[in-house]
Amino acid sequence: MGDASGKKDHYTSLCRMCDNRCGINVYVEDGTIVEITGLKEHKWNRGRLCVKGRLAVDLVNAPDRIKKPLKRINGQFEEISLDQAYDEIAEKIKQVQATWGERAMSVWKGEALGFLTQEDLYRRFIHAIGSPNYFSNDSACYVGRWLGYALVTGDWATQDFANSKCALIWASNPPYSQPNLTQSILNGREKDGKLIVIDVRLSAIARQADEFVQVLPGTDGALAHGIARQLIEEDTIDHTFIDDFTIGFTSYSRYVNQFTPERVERETGVPAETIIHIAREIGRCRPKVSVYAGNGLEHHENGINNVRAIACLDGLLGSLDQEGGNFTAEKPGLKDLTLYRDKPLRHLDPIGADSYPVLYDFRKECHSISAIDTILTGKPYPLRGMILSGANPALTNPNSKKVIRALKALDLFVVRDLFMTETAELADYVLPAATFLEHPELHCHPIHQIISLSKEIVTFPGCDNEYIFLKKLAARLGAGSSFPWKDRETLNDWLLEGTGITIEKLLDHPEGYQYKPRRYRKYLEEGLPTPSGKFEFASRYLKDYGYPELPEYIPPTYMSAPNPDFPYILVTGARKVFYTHGRNRNFKRCRTAIPNPDIEMHPVDARKIGVETGDIVTVTSTVGSVDIPVKVVTPANILPGVTQVTHGWKESNINLLTPDDRNDPIDGFPLMKSVEISITPKVKS
Amino acid sequence: MRFITMDITKCVVCRNCEYACAFRQTGDFNRDDSNIRVEYHDDVKICLPQTCMHCDDAWCLEICPAAAIYRNESTGAIEIISDRCAGCKMCILACPFGNIHFDKINLVSRKCNLCQGEPNCVSFCISGALQYTTDQNSYQNNREIFQRFIENLSSVNH
Repeated sequence: MGDASGKKDHYTSLCRMCDNRCGINVYVEDGTIVEITGLKEHKWNRGRLCVKGRLAVDLVNAPDRIKKPLKRINGQFEEISLDQAYDEIAEKIKQVQATWGERAMSVWKGEALGFLTQEDLYRRFIHAIGSPNYFSNDSACYVGRWLGYALVTGDWATQDFANSKCALIWASNPPYSQPNLTQSILNGREKDGKLIVIDVRLSAIARQADEFVQVLPGTDGALAHGIARQLIEEDTIDHTFIDDFTIGFTSYSRYVNQFTPERVERETGVPAETIIHIAREIGRCRPKVSVYAGNGLEHHENGINNVRAIACLDGLLGSLDQEGGNFTAEKPGLKDLTLYRDKPLRHLDPIGADSYPVLYDFRKECHSISAIDTILTGKPYPLRGMILSGANPALTNPNSKKVIRALKALDLFVVRDLFMTETAELADYVLPAATFLEHPELHCHPIHQIISLSKEIVTFPGCDNEYIFLKKLAARLGAGSSFPWKDRETLNDWLLEGTGITIEKLLDHPEGYQYKPRRYRKYLEEGLPTPSGKFEFASRYLKDYGYPELPEYIPPTYMSAPNPDFPYILVTGARKVFYTHGRNRNFKRCRTAIPNPDIEMHPVDARKIGVETGDIVTVTSTVGSVDIPVKVVTPANILPGVTQVTHGWKESNINLLTPDDRNDPIDGFPLMKSVEISITPKVKS
Repeated sequence: MRFITMDITKCVVCRNCEYACAFRQTGDFNRDDSNIRVEYHDDVKICLPQTCMHCDDAWCLEICPAAAIYRNESTGAIEIISDRCAGCKMCILACPFGNIHFDKINLVSRKCNLCQGEPNCVSFCISGALQYTTDQNSYQNNREIFQRFIENLSSVNH
């Protein structure tokens, strides 16, 4: 910390405390990691790092890390050897599959340990042992937006904020969720760009907005259609792009015509003049308009179409794959670790693939919420075993009570994690795992089209990384041939084969190695990866599945059918800089800064209920109830009637309240950001 | 010399700087221990980071009766020698910007010392609002921003 007078070994690597993956310097003294700073040369973060990056020192050295396998014996956890654990788990997997069928086994991958390669390794493993049931955090996060865009353009582009004239940050708070975007957004704005932030709360990024547009939760689709209608009416649209590269414009423009500024004001709470004004700003800046659609859009009953409505704006503005617009990054062409080509197993009915075929078609994602139901009901078939890695659904999936019941009911539940999480507490076996500082991984930053290598800097005996764990387990299950690489390094070499990129090149380029220079408007030559090859305002693919072909707007239930017993609206999930979902609560230092959860409420609501900051209230939905301290925010921060609770706190787990049966019909994403609640005071502080 | 410049058009009040500074002093994240403070006025949406500007003519240095405040020759930073500080708080009164605070546990005054030339707050400023730069660079940078602002004003006339 501070002055580097001691003898320290220095490594460059990448941080994985969240998904931003910033370049870091890591300092090791006597075999222990003692300091982490931002890597100045790295193209992505340019030396900047958030406090979580520094906290990785706490993570890797945490005294409460699980270092030995634990087996539940008579209700208590006892330490056993790694070999015994792997042997027994393999035997039990065989039993589950022999008794209930191969598809009765499943995997569930979270984000606490690794990223893209980790995901592909679990997909590979579960197919290698004969089951199609891969679950992950992605059936409740990220993929909603990815699908919303992919249904329109075939992919989800990145945002070229650095060259943008108008940055539109919609339902996202980059300073806490994607810290580096903050730099790019503000650098772009500095070159006389405009920053428009649309959100339900006055987020950190909103503080710098030239226009802060406050919307009612779940109504963003109506706002997007209202903006579209205004752009079309004022003819600030790209006719060449629309005529030559899109389909469905006529029916789409007819549909959005009903979203007059007055109608949108009623639906969203945004004043009509504001809608007209921001549409004019956006139209004026075209095509250099970059739109970032945040997680705040996904967790609604109408989430997918809200995202699609926003995605459609790219088509009107001609900003798709443009400099300063939404740039479609090219990938480095790494080898595919999954077995979907060789062993698709579609005939085994992956769970959720029938209810949410779009989710499965596009992402091969099984539906984690359906997994919970399947475990409990045995329908459509028994799901009896699960290996879960780096995820904490007992705390972060909707309807926690039910999740806990289901995970307890499994015949075999194996959890791999760094700490004894709320989910690990339910397991039959808890296995130690390796942090991102303990294995080498390839990382891409699409916006710069660079690839970087994170390093194995320290290791702990018995803490196998994901690859080694799956390799050892697969060998015991007769699937060893699917994991032939000696170690993670050899695997990385294989992933890079054919790309022209080598590990040596990556070691020579700690700043990130650019695998391709940027090309814009690739659709001119290559078309778009959609069924029609064009930008789809209307989707034939969705129509064939029985969904409306246009991104039709349906108001959230709290508006269309309000329940007087639950008069307030709950938004969840606002990020905090110290915590990533359920993680880091066990670091005492973080508790100094942000010691407890709270429910943010407008002063008018606090007065009505009769509470002040610090008072405890009972918050109730149709699903469950939780007690939580109040935080009265300033009137500018949140709309009256709307409240916010950040998730991931076991002492006030807001997912006791979130429903798991009011999902978006297209992608199956849960309702977590416009839940009807009641609030009553509990104790005067 | 270089000092910390603060761009109020970039600060988002994430307070990473406060936490990073507190951490460097104490290993914990208590904002009271930070030598940089960010204020936010949400009715007018002004984000204001503030830290010591290491004045050429530092009043805190002048007033200290214990001669505990001096200028570090290599970084140019105005620093308090805690061992000499009597805790009289005259420096706190003297600083017109309120950039010195009192450590109630150790009973000494505390202020920014530019972290021996690698200011932690700047490294942890994720928005880029804080820069560690020379006054010449800052002046040039601000003039360029202002020029662009003027150009933009004259071009937006349709």
